[in-house]
Order: sequence, then structure tokens, then C-alpha cells
Amino acid sequence: MTPQMIFLMFFGGAAVWFGIVVFRTLSMVRSALALLFSQTAVGVMFLLMQAEFLGVLQIMMMATEMSVMAIFMVMFMMDPGGMGAMDMTHQKRLSLWAGGIGFVAALAVIWLADWGPANLQIPDATEQTAELGRELLGRSMFIFESAALMILTAMVAATMVAIHPSEGRKR
Amino acid sequence: MTVLIVLVALAVGAYLVAVLESWAVHGRLEPARPAISALALLGRESLLARTPDRLFFEAGPVVLLVAGLLAVAVIPLAPGLIVTDLATGALFLNAALAYVLVALIMAGWGPNGAYAMIGGWRFLGQFVAYAMLIVMPITAVAMRAESLSTVDIVTSQSTLWNIAYQPLGFVLFVAAAMGLCWLPPLDLPTARGDLAGGIEAEYTGARLAVLRLARMVLIMALAGATVTFYLGGWLGPWLPAWAWSAIKILFVAGLMVSVGRLVPRVREAQYLEISWKLGIPLALANIFLVGVITLVVPI
Amino acid sequence: MIPELIIALSVGAALFGVGLYGALSQTNLVMIIMGVELILAAALVNLVAFWRYLYPDVPAAQMFVLIVMAVMAVEMAVGFGIAIARFRSRGSVEMEEARELKG
Repeated sequence: MTPQMIFLMFFGGAAVWFGIVVFRTLSMVRSALALLFSQTAVGVMFLLMQAEFLGVLQIMMMATEMSVMAIFMVMFMMDPGGMGAMDMTHQKRLSLWAGGIGFVAALAVIWLADWGPANLQIPDATEQTAELGRELLGRSMFIFESAALMILTAMVAATMVAIHPSEGRKR
Repeated sequence: MTVLIVLVALAVGAYLVAVLESWAVHGRLEPARPAISALALLGRESLLARTPDRLFFEAGPVVLLVAGLLAVAVIPLAPGLIVTDLATGALFLNAALAYVLVALIMAGWGPNGAYAMIGGWRFLGQFVAYAMLIVMPITAVAMRAESLSTVDIVTSQSTLWNIAYQPLGFVLFVAAAMGLCWLPPLDLPTARGDLAGGIEAEYTGARLAVLRLARMVLIMALAGATVTFYLGGWLGPWLPAWAWSAIKILFVAGLMVSVGRLVPRVREAQYLEISWKLGIPLALANIFLVGVITLVVPI
Repeated sequence: MIPELIIALSVGAALFGVGLYGALSQTNLVMIIMGVELILAAALVNLVAFWRYLYPDVPAAQMFVLIVMAVMAVEMAVGFGIAIARFRSRGSVEMEEARELKG
């Protein structure tokens, strides 16, 4: 048991626990912020695995995303405060089975697969960031650019879908 | 040891800025005023609203304080006087400051009050306006330093401070920073006139004291970030390094808390419009210009 | 046998299970998006674990993580766009009521 393993287990457990809380709590803001804490725990796991840039980026991005999520929950749910104790679920047994089978199948693959020898030659954080930058703007530039284009398309499409049909005709 | 020095410096700085702010608000220079009002707040009863979300109500001010302290952790005050010199310091600063939004949403939702809730959600709108203008000027700064480490960013300014190298970025960053710590004219979440205190409306006693302290820490963190990114950090002639940091940070913080009061409050719709239609194109132009200058003129 | 890798992958598997349960069991579009986010978080954990313990010298693995993060943001933006449009036209985003495409 190395300290890294203990911390990985702790934050992994926190991530899973908050993930479960997301679907168990009735208050929608709590649900969104539980998802945030789950994602933050995942970010801390990245930091533990010495992926400093990715960990910090995950922690930063999720704070914003989940806050936006929270306001959408409050806007669209019938009972955002959770005081009416509404049941918002369906096909519960099927979902439980699906989730359980997915979990067990993934575990089986993880435990049965031969992962080969570990490669523990980690470059330090400065070098990692520099290498990632070179990768992004060098060999993988095309993929990176297409991801940017994908985001742009999604932004335009989402805005167009969200605009009220009558709003465009005013001018 | 470094942590202790930084914390003491932070406490002293926050106190001085609180004195400056009360001077800007009330027009009288009273050095004892923050201490007296803090004692008064601690002595008062801390009321709890009816059917609050207790967890968020208690956690809001604390999360805000922790976010501010984490942001301070990557700000260098002198060579070697920094809590952690991360390889991704500038990004870490952003990550810590993103939790200001989470804290304010918690503090707004928690007490189950209309004004507080509107204040919290308003800050989300304000966040959408300022977020890009915090990140994009920092990108330009990191481009010049060729590093995300805050220490490297300071040393990259040894020949020319970034305020002269990229003045556009400086202006955008300071404006966005004032939005981040909801200073007037961008004090939408607390708006005294139309929201009766907003997120502060339901907080009383010791909890309000923590909230106010957290905001002072946040102002110090952002003043420190401005100095690190644009005013050359600890660099300067004659005086020792820590003295330069102290002078610059106090000067920037003093400007941030006082000058904005002369401008009428900006509505959130106007703020969003200005930020996205004017601010972001300017920030992109700034990145482009800095890229060209870095490649063509080696300063 | 690399114990840290096994732990990280197991966390990923558990997150995937929880996310799948949420995405299938919730009736509200926004909650379904939350389930999908959890599934993507599971993918992220796995990718970082693979990078860390098997291929630490390949920066392309980190770039893959960045792309998945971009996918998360895009998925949320498009999902919320659809949610707004649906709320405008039908007054709710309950997926029990969305049966137009059912044959």
C-alpha cells in the first residue's frame, strides 16, 4: 500500500459517492453541485497521477460547467428545491441492472486483462506541459483544430436551436 | 514558514485595503474601523433563515475563503517567497477563482431568500461576462513568458513590464478582475440599491464576517495576480523585493476598491454585451499582437 | 499487475455504472445529461490512468483527454440548446412526454 494508492482510493471513492448522491438527492442545486464535487475529485485523481495540467484544467472547467448545469436544473425542473419530494425516475429496475452489469463487466475486464509492464518514467510537470503544447500545435494540430471547429459548430447550432423562432423577425 | 509569512502579509494587506475601502465609501480615514466592525459582527447573533439549505448556507463563505487562499498560494511575493511554484500556476489561479462562482451560488441558494438567490444567479451571468476576459489576457502573458509558472512570468518581465508590453491585456484583465470580486461598478450580486445586499442580505454575525473577510482575501489575490502578470511582481530598483510587491499590490488593490465607485453601476445585460462584443475581440487582438511582437521583436 | 492502474480503472468502472444508471433512470433531460457527464468522467479517469501507468512518454494520450473534455462541453451546450427549444414549445423537458419519434 503506497500513499498514492490510498489517496487514489480515497478520492476515487469520493468521486463515486458524489456521483451516487447526484441521483439520490431531491434538491436540484445539490444534485448539480454533487456532480461538481464528483468531477473535482476526478480532477484531484489526475493530480495524484501527476497529470498536473489536466487535473487543474478539469477542476477549472467543471466548476463553470456544473454551475451552468445548476441554473438549468432550476429553470427546467418542476420542483427545483426538492421540497415536494417528487419522484423523477422511471424504469428503475432496468437501469439498476444496466448500471450494475456495466460496472461488473468493466471490472471483469480490468481484473482479467494483462496490462503488461508498467512504464513509470514520468516527465516532470513543466516538461509535460511543454510537450503537450508541442503535440497540440505540431503532430496533432489537425485533430485539435477539428475539435475547435466542432465546438464552434456546436455553439452556433445550440444558439440557433435555443433562439425563439419569432425573435429573428423583429428587425 | 513561507506559508506563515504569506498569511501574515495577506492579513495585514487585507486590513489596509479594508481601511482604504471604508475611506472610499465614507470619505473619512479611520484606521480602526475594520477592526471595530469585525468585532461588532462577531459579537452579533448569527441568524438562520427559515428552511435554509443548511449545508450550502454554512459552506458558501468558507468555500469563498478557501478559493481566495488557494489563489494566493501561487502568487510570488519575492524570489522564493511563494507557497507553491506550480508548473501550471497561471492556470491554477484560474481554477481557484472559478470556485468563487460556486461559493456565491451556494451562498445565494442556501438561505432560501429571494434577494440572495437573485444575487447568486446574477453572479453566474456576470461570470459568463468576465470569465473569458480573465483567461485570454493570461494566455497572452503566458505566451510572452513561454511558461505557465507565475515565477517565470515575473522574471520574463525583467526588461519591460507587461503593462507596457501589452497594455490592452492589462486594461481587460483589471476590468474583468473587478467583475470577479464584484467591486463597483460591477457589484451586481450584492447591489445595495436594488437587491438590498443580495447574497449578503441573509448573512448576519460571524458568517457575514467570514464572507467579508473572504472578499477582502479575493481582492488581495486579484491585486496580487495583476501585479504578477502585468506590473513585474517583485521587480524594481533600490528597495528590497518584498517591499516592491507590497507597494504594488496595495496600490492596485487601493485603485480597484476606490476608482470604480465614481462610475454608475453597470446592468448585467450591458456588462454581457460590452464583454462579448467589445472585450473578447479586443482580447483576441491582444493575443495576436503579443504573438507577433514576441516573434518579431525580442525584448 | 499494476495496483494503482487497477484502482483507477475500477473507479472509472464504478463511475460508468453510476452514470449509466442515472442516464437510463432519470426522466428529466437535464438529469440525463448529468448521467452522460458521469460516463464521460469515467472515460477521462481511464485515459489518464492509461497515460500515467502505460504510456507516460506519449503526449498524444493527454491530448485525447483534452478532446474528451471538449466533447463534454459540446454535449452540454447542445443538450441545453435542445432543452431550451423543447421547453419553449412543450413547456417541459420531461422525457416521458417526448414520444413524437416513437413509431
